[in-house]
Amino acid sequence: MQTIAPNLSAFAASSSTTCKVRQKSTDAAEPKEEAQTTQQFSGHIPVEELEFSYSRSSGPGGQNVNKVSTKVEVRFHVPSASWIPQDIKSKLIELEHNRVTKEGYLVLTSDKTRKQMLNQADVMDKLRSIVFKAAAKPRGLTDQEIQLRDKRLAKSKEETLREKRQRSMKKQSRGSPSVGSV
Amino acid sequence: MASTRDTAQRLIRSLPRVALHNIKSVQPKTRKKVRRSFAKGKTHGRGHKGQGQHMTLPRLGFEGGNTPFYLMIPKEPYYQNHHLRRQYPPLTMLSLQRFIDLGRVDTSIPIDLTQLCNTGLFNVNIDRKHFGVNLTEEGADIFAAKINLEVQWTTELVIAAVERNGGTVTTRYYDPKSLRALIDPLHFFKRSTAIPRCRLPPQDALEYYSSASNRGYLAKEEDIEVERQRLAQKYGYVLPDLHADPGSTMLKMRKDPGQLFYGLEPGWVVNLKDRLVLKPKSPEHLEFYAS
Repeated sequence: MQTIAPNLSAFAASSSTTCKVRQKSTDAAEPKEEAQTTQQFSGHIPVEELEFSYSRSSGPGGQNVNKVSTKVEVRFHVPSASWIPQDIKSKLIELEHNRVTKEGYLVLTSDKTRKQMLNQADVMDKLRSIVFKAAAKPRGLTDQEIQLRDKRLAKSKEETLREKRQRSMKKQSRGSPSVGSV
Repeated sequence: MASTRDTAQRLIRSLPRVALHNIKSVQPKTRKKVRRSFAKGKTHGRGHKGQGQHMTLPRLGFEGGNTPFYLMIPKEPYYQNHHLRRQYPPLTMLSLQRFIDLGRVDTSIPIDLTQLCNTGLFNVNIDRKHFGVNLTEEGADIFAAKINLEVQWTTELVIAAVERNGGTVTTRYYDPKSLRALIDPLHFFKRSTAIPRCRLPPQDALEYYSSASNRGYLAKEEDIEVERQRLAQKYGYVLPDLHADPGSTMLKMRKDPGQLFYGLEPGWVVNLKDRLVLKPKSPEHLEFYAS
């Protein structure tokens, strides 16, 4: 059987649909650290840089839940994480401020299922979606949308002015008639 | 001039083996002469008048208008087509770990259905439409053995649990004839028949065994490697490097899709008594067993 070396670029192309593979073209003169930070998050998380710890889960389950460590906790230091682009780290801490410690450690837990492996998968999924959310850019308006918005604003302004003029004339007509008017 | 004995010997050599389809009785069966009764005249067994005599009887099962018996009773198809469905008796990962810990299964060789049946604690019964072993998820958390595993059915969590510990899993289909040999190889070899070539899975199983996500034996190796990476990312473990492993040759051992036993090819005959392996040489045999 021929040996096959793991091909991570193939992984990045064929992994989950939420995965963004596009990498911005970087200048050759830019140093590697800057090139890393301008890249987009591809969905790949280096598991060796995360710290996993296991404990007992909550909820019913008798002797089994009392004895088996199925709850999974993952933590890592956000500012020193090399796999998250620099520009989204602050956004990440802001979005998940409830889950970030004073020292800057993001802590996620899961005790959803009865199996430790499934809880670990759940925690990885949570982490990945959190980072994707932080990396998501707000969608700008298209030219058509800008045109439509301006057109509607102009129309509503026009309408306001027309009403003002009408109201003004109504008020004026209430006064005593002057010489020369009907 | 050839003697009668020579002719007889030549005939015996060339004629086919005597079987039920090519022998005749010594005295041919004669048809009994039909004897007609004189008494069955006049109404000829039909009685007098009525529908019976006028050939206007209704269909069989008709009860004069009320819902007939065969429509009144409801259908309860609990076991409909059960005899056509494949069954995979389950074996938990916990049981497998226990087998390994107690030394019932050797981890230094590839573990397939033969090894599991040899423990005597796991049984596959072909007459009950069993098609192999289904490795279930119970005990996946505590599984800690590095093995080259071959099963007939399994799930993603089990695959992740095995690969996390540095092992490999393959799902493999065996047709009933091959499975019978695999379950009890000793009994099969004692019959001294040629090792059969394994057949491809049926249509509804072909997709399962061709899919890399199930580690099917018909899937491509590159796709399987991609799936290994994907699973490691999903379940959050570092994928052990198989190439750096000293036991990697054993872990990479795979059977050919038509091969039944490691080290033996289809068409070979194992003679246990004389401790020989007989291999066919004629091109017709080789072509047949390669097809």
